[in-house]
Amino acid sequence: MLGAPFGAEISQAALDALKYVFLALLFLFLARVVRVVVLELRSPALAGAPGAAPAPAGKAPKKGARLRIIEPAERKGESYTLTDELTVGRGGGCAVVIPDDQFVSTVHARLYRRGDDLFVEDLGSRNGTFVNGQKIETPTKLRRGDRVQFGETVGEVQR
Amino acid sequence: MKSRRNVELRLGLLAVGITGLGYVLVQLPEKSDIPADLWFFVTIFVGLYVLAHMAVLQFAPNADPSLLPLAAMLNGIGFVTISRLDPDLARTQVGWMAAGMAAFFGTLVVVRRIRTLERYRYTFLLLGLLALLLPLAPGIGKTINGARLWVGIGPINFQPGEAAKVLLVIFFAAYLVDKRELLSSGSRRLGRLVLPSVKHLGPLLLAWAVSILVMVMQKDLGSSLLFFAVFGAMLYAATERAAYLITALVLFVGGATIAHRLFDHVQDRVTTWLDPWPVAADEGFQVVQSWFAFGTGGFSGTGLGRGNPQLIPNAPTDFVFSAIGEELGLIGAVAVIAAILMFVGSGFRIALEAERPFPKLFAAGLTVIMGVQTFVIIGGVTRVIPLTGVTLPFISYGGSSLVANFVVLGLLLRISDDNARARGLVRRRTSAPTGATPS
Repeated sequence: MLGAPFGAEISQAALDALKYVFLALLFLFLARVVRVVVLELRSPALAGAPGAAPAPAGKAPKKGARLRIIEPAERKGESYTLTDELTVGRGGGCAVVIPDDQFVSTVHARLYRRGDDLFVEDLGSRNGTFVNGQKIETPTKLRRGDRVQFGETVGEVQR
Repeated sequence: MKSRRNVELRLGLLAVGITGLGYVLVQLPEKSDIPADLWFFVTIFVGLYVLAHMAVLQFAPNADPSLLPLAAMLNGIGFVTISRLDPDLARTQVGWMAAGMAAFFGTLVVVRRIRTLERYRYTFLLLGLLALLLPLAPGIGKTINGARLWVGIGPINFQPGEAAKVLLVIFFAAYLVDKRELLSSGSRRLGRLVLPSVKHLGPLLLAWAVSILVMVMQKDLGSSLLFFAVFGAMLYAATERAAYLITALVLFVGGATIAHRLFDHVQDRVTTWLDPWPVAADEGFQVVQSWFAFGTGGFSGTGLGRGNPQLIPNAPTDFVFSAIGEELGLIGAVAVIAAILMFVGSGFRIALEAERPFPKLFAAGLTVIMGVQTFVIIGGVTRVIPLTGVTLPFISYGGSSLVANFVVLGLLLRISDDNARARGLVRRRTSAPTGATPS
């Protein structure tokens, strides 16, 4: 339909090259599926499933610990210093504002300190707050490396 | 979650793109031109994929995003390979893809809750056995390639056995969930083995025996092996008792020995498996040609359109994997196996995520079908086990099997969506845009 775009005859070398391109694309596809599956495995759906390994007990976060956003990709790397009290929500009055996540409530949760310990408490959000994939019902103590999820936004407690 | 669906759409379109490239490569060596009907096929594939994607978005929005693209990729590789062997057959296969997509759509629309299936277990048992027996009925039953598996009504021929697999797995899952406590505790002892009473195990053994007997009568060894493995695995999964696995293995060895004594065609298969070379021109021809194909392909294959896979008998159906091995080589064959393994892995992940026993066991059963079927046919064409004809899921030519595979896909996505819903993180159509707290 396009005439003969490659000239009258295609060289064997070109055909060989195309063969490898095709095979490489197949594996590119597989690699992307693997990436998707890895993300699925990290999502709360499985992490909270019965039989999932309990979260490793990290050390209590020190003063000056930060909450670092790891999901979604657009906000990855943003981080917030964990002061004595920090509210999280879509509303402008919160210390951590997550405006573009439709699963986050206006005032979703709060992170606060009691002595040396750091806690997260859900403030009656619609879709709940998760720590390492487990939905929390009561204020929950946070350790270093814990993953806290509000809506589709996930943060990790660091240092 | 919306992001899951976007990922699914992107991956699927990549799969369609690779399929399109493969279709061009098939014709390039001979014609040095882009095939005239490329855009026709690409449009159809994109259309079908977008439709499937929209069906999932509408009816199972939180389902796993890896299964549909993997199915599309396998289906695409199958189409490319078939078009290389027989362009007319490839056109028909596109029709079957559309039928499969309709079945997929129908499954998602009709089966809104997987629990509903559990309720009609005996209806499914009846339908499953009926489907198995249908090819034996005089008048409509047909024998093709020595196996009486077909039903012909008017111009349409199909294999009801493909539907029977899914129907009977529903029954087995529902029945096992009901009786698993009784089956795993047992009431009688035989040495160290604790046996459940005949009352509880009876219906199961009966359904099992009937399905295997029927398929032996139809000379469909591959499917009887498949049933045996699937129900053994489900019994094990439900009761967590290795005794069942051992029993199933003993029964299988016994059954296989008897079949070997009784049937000539079984003896042929075993002989050609052990040593095909003396009969390379007769019974062993298929397997020997399959081996030549893999040998010709070598590490990276001859390249699409540059080998001679049409020399393998039954290349579009049973021996499709050999054709892939010749033109895409070890690398391509590994990619196909990897894709199927990922499909199976995602299936088991869905089974693990399920909280209720029925969907858990059902998902495991459906996944085992896919896995065992792949093992039986790939093992057969590479001479790891004696050859028995079953289709390679999503890849082989064939309407009945393709439609059945898409129904399995739909059911797995339904279970996956149910799991996500049970876990909370769900897209709420009405409240999501505002998402205000009730407090």
